[in-house]
Amino acid sequence: MDKVAFRLNVNGMDHDVLAEPRKLLSDAIREDIGLTGTHVGCEHGVCGACTVLIDGKPQRACLVFAIQAQGQAITTIENVTGEDGGYSPLQQALHEEHGLQCGFCTPGIVVTMEAYLKENPDPSERDIRDVLSGNLCRCTGYQSIVKAVQKAARRMRGEDTEVA
Amino acid sequence: MSRVNDSNNFLSIGKSLPRKEDRRLLTGQGRYLDDIQVAGELHACFVRSPYQHALILAIDTEAAEAAPEVVAVVTGKDLAEWTTTHRMAPPIDGLLPIEMTALPADKVRFHGDPVACIVATDRYLAEDASELVEVDYEPLDPVCDMFKAMEDGAPLIEKDMGTNLISHQTFETGNILHVMESAGRVVESTFSTPRQTPLPIETRGCIAEWDEGTQHLTVHVGNQAPHPYRSALAGRLKLKETQVTVIVPDVGGGFGQKIALYREELTIAALARHLKRPVRWREDRMENLLAASHAREDFVRTRAAVDANGRITGLTLELVEDFGAYCFFPANYLARVVAVILTGPYDIGEYAFDVKVVLTNKCGNGPMRAPMAITSWVMEGTIDNIARELGLDPVQVRRLNMVADDAYPHVMATGETMEDINPGAALERGLEAIGYADFRRRQEADREHGIYRGLGICSVVESTTYGSKFYKAAGIPGSGHECAWVKVDPSGTIRASAGVMATGQGYETSFSQAVAEGLGVNPQDVDIKLGNTDIAPYGMGSRGARGGTAGGGTLYLAATGVREKALAIAAKLLGLNTAYQLTMRDGRVCRLIDDDIQETDLTLADIARTAYLDPTRLPDGMEPGLEVTRAYDPPPMTYSNSCHFCEVVVDVPTGAVEISRYVVVENCGNVLNPQIVEGQQLGAIVMGLSGSLFEQVVYDESGYNQTGLLADYLVATASDMPNIEILSVATPNRRTPIGLKGMAEGGVMGSIGAISNAVSDALSPFGAVVENHPISPSRLRLMLREKT
Repeated sequence: MDKVAFRLNVNGMDHDVLAEPRKLLSDAIREDIGLTGTHVGCEHGVCGACTVLIDGKPQRACLVFAIQAQGQAITTIENVTGEDGGYSPLQQALHEEHGLQCGFCTPGIVVTMEAYLKENPDPSERDIRDVLSGNLCRCTGYQSIVKAVQKAARRMRGEDTEVA
Repeated sequence: MSRVNDSNNFLSIGKSLPRKEDRRLLTGQGRYLDDIQVAGELHACFVRSPYQHALILAIDTEAAEAAPEVVAVVTGKDLAEWTTTHRMAPPIDGLLPIEMTALPADKVRFHGDPVACIVATDRYLAEDASELVEVDYEPLDPVCDMFKAMEDGAPLIEKDMGTNLISHQTFETGNILHVMESAGRVVESTFSTPRQTPLPIETRGCIAEWDEGTQHLTVHVGNQAPHPYRSALAGRLKLKETQVTVIVPDVGGGFGQKIALYREELTIAALARHLKRPVRWREDRMENLLAASHAREDFVRTRAAVDANGRITGLTLELVEDFGAYCFFPANYLARVVAVILTGPYDIGEYAFDVKVVLTNKCGNGPMRAPMAITSWVMEGTIDNIARELGLDPVQVRRLNMVADDAYPHVMATGETMEDINPGAALERGLEAIGYADFRRRQEADREHGIYRGLGICSVVESTTYGSKFYKAAGIPGSGHECAWVKVDPSGTIRASAGVMATGQGYETSFSQAVAEGLGVNPQDVDIKLGNTDIAPYGMGSRGARGGTAGGGTLYLAATGVREKALAIAAKLLGLNTAYQLTMRDGRVCRLIDDDIQETDLTLADIARTAYLDPTRLPDGMEPGLEVTRAYDPPPMTYSNSCHFCEVVVDVPTGAVEISRYVVVENCGNVLNPQIVEGQQLGAIVMGLSGSLFEQVVYDESGYNQTGLLADYLVATASDMPNIEILSVATPNRRTPIGLKGMAEGGVMGSIGAISNAVSDALSPFGAVVENHPISPSRLRLMLREKT
């Protein structure tokens, strides 16, 4: 299969990519653009580790051909930061609540929940667990992730602002 | 070893410090295997057998070799020239020897067995070429059921072995036969877990680089035990061990699947050397599900002799495990531990076991978090069956049979000594927390409204840290000791290393606390360097629940050694005759004067500078430098205990199980970092619940694996799982440094038993008892249809 040239916009920067049309977006982000924070866990859209934002919406990068993402704004874990360049409130809460162990599923979870909290500032625990159910984590048992998302939501609403 | 294990005196240990690992992992800056790029690297892909049992008559690689960008196509015949066969033949009674080659040249033994390897400049193109390899198979009759595999005339996985029963071990106490025959009542119970797989979210893979100039092989691989892995790799490639370096980057979970040297990894290393170019491989999820190690799949029957009060006078265990087709571990390794520790907290003097391990045409078995996972379900399920049959309260039957907490150390019928545990206190604390009497009232009342509530209790005695004496007694080659070093640089910075390797357990944080405590510095000032076999001392790696006790304990001892040397130097520099009244606090030498701690002007950096750069000022005869290496061999076995309480509501019309409450009471001794330990406990409990409710590798009757996608192999998601309440009745271990015990697997053991017993309790009005996993709605409906 012949390679074709196309352009991807990732984290606000344009990247020229020369790849086969069948190349997955997850592989292009990691191999052609060199951003390895987006992880590949199953390549069939179940585990959620490769989740990125496409025009602001969480998508499985392993279910999209890179060439399909032309002209859209792709956001990856590398672009998630706090206002001061440090942790975002969600990253900070995950750090405090021990919401990650091996960390392999973490970028997909951070990207998914950042987008969710933006649209849903006051979710119930049930809501959080339902949204999180699209991301598999084999280490934590999910409880500490849920607590961290709740804590981040409180802080983003201006409550519970004390940072450990 | 006499040592004060008073956790109140610790300054760094026992604090919930946030993890040092998190910054890189939360920001996408972690470095997992697939994130490492090597210049000039080639990509490998394996051709796998579509048959479960077939002779390999011929492999035609010509078309694949001619495909675009393909550099090499190799088969078992090529690998046989470059590698040795692996012979698994430890001197264990009842265990037969078995051999395996790098890739099979004679026949394939399961659906997914690798038969050829393609190397190309691009992974996509390697996969394209793999479809061009023509393998001529002659199908053989497969055997995919462990009971059929034991029948006369069954197809043989290993022809030369003459049987599929690779291991058969038995044990009995002197009077067990008489007790069973003369018992007033014998309660029989059965238990079965299906085949499961550890399922780390990062699949297996490796990168191998051969340096032709120095004749040196460097392998990057996610692995829990880098040094034993290096030894195996060097041996199989006929290299000196000094010619091999194993480097372990961040690892995306292991759970037992990343210990052995796999055949694919050996193949990649051999190819890198043969081609003199870097070669990399990462399996896809389907390969991981079909052909990485599997686990469990066992059938268990207990027979308990009891008196009318429910006192157990004798117990027998039959266990059969389906080990699959290949042995990366001694085949008895997992099942034997179940049999040895089965009686756990109960005083059962007369006991017998019969443990069979069988080869079949399935993917080979290996350890999975709690290799002895079924143990506690079997014991506690047996107790519940006794209570049900005799019409007794299951809590009373537990109390009646438990060893009293003040009667430890207690020697089990199998000769294992348990000490420093308190199963009685854990049970009572949990009953109080859950409100046992009130629960029974609610249960009774709700049943009248068609709500079927159940409570499952599961006491766990978890074998945690295995010392070398345990291995010796079991006949298993290898050791349970660990090695560590702590070095202070001339500038005063501190680095430390041990042979264990983390796969998510946060060792960089908890180990820095162990070193900080031993040395008298701040944990933030300690850098933990793990996972490079040229840097780390030779150690036995992370398995079981040994990381904290063996790794952290050994680092603590090495750090203590550095402190002793540093304070001896300090005494000399301060003009004192002895270091007796000196101590180190936050990197500064302090004097203890009448219970008062007074800082001196001397820091660890001053001492280090002297030790390296001004050694003439050192005490007479002292070696320059400031570093200590220590090895430590834990007791033959340390035990932790816990008691799990799971409350469920079963929806009888649909068979759905909802976990309404989960309480666990833990005694895992002193801990390095409580938050990290809690994370281990939560993760283990959910892994057990996930296995019990959802997980099953499905082979159809002819041996084809039906679960090649994560959509087929179900695991727990956030919406399926409860919040878990953790309580503690911790007591320290008297023999280990810091009083550590370990705890990473007991959660799996306990939750399997607690959820199963809870569902059986809920369904007791129907006389239905959970004997098989997963406890799926369809299975429950089937059980209820038979009973109603």
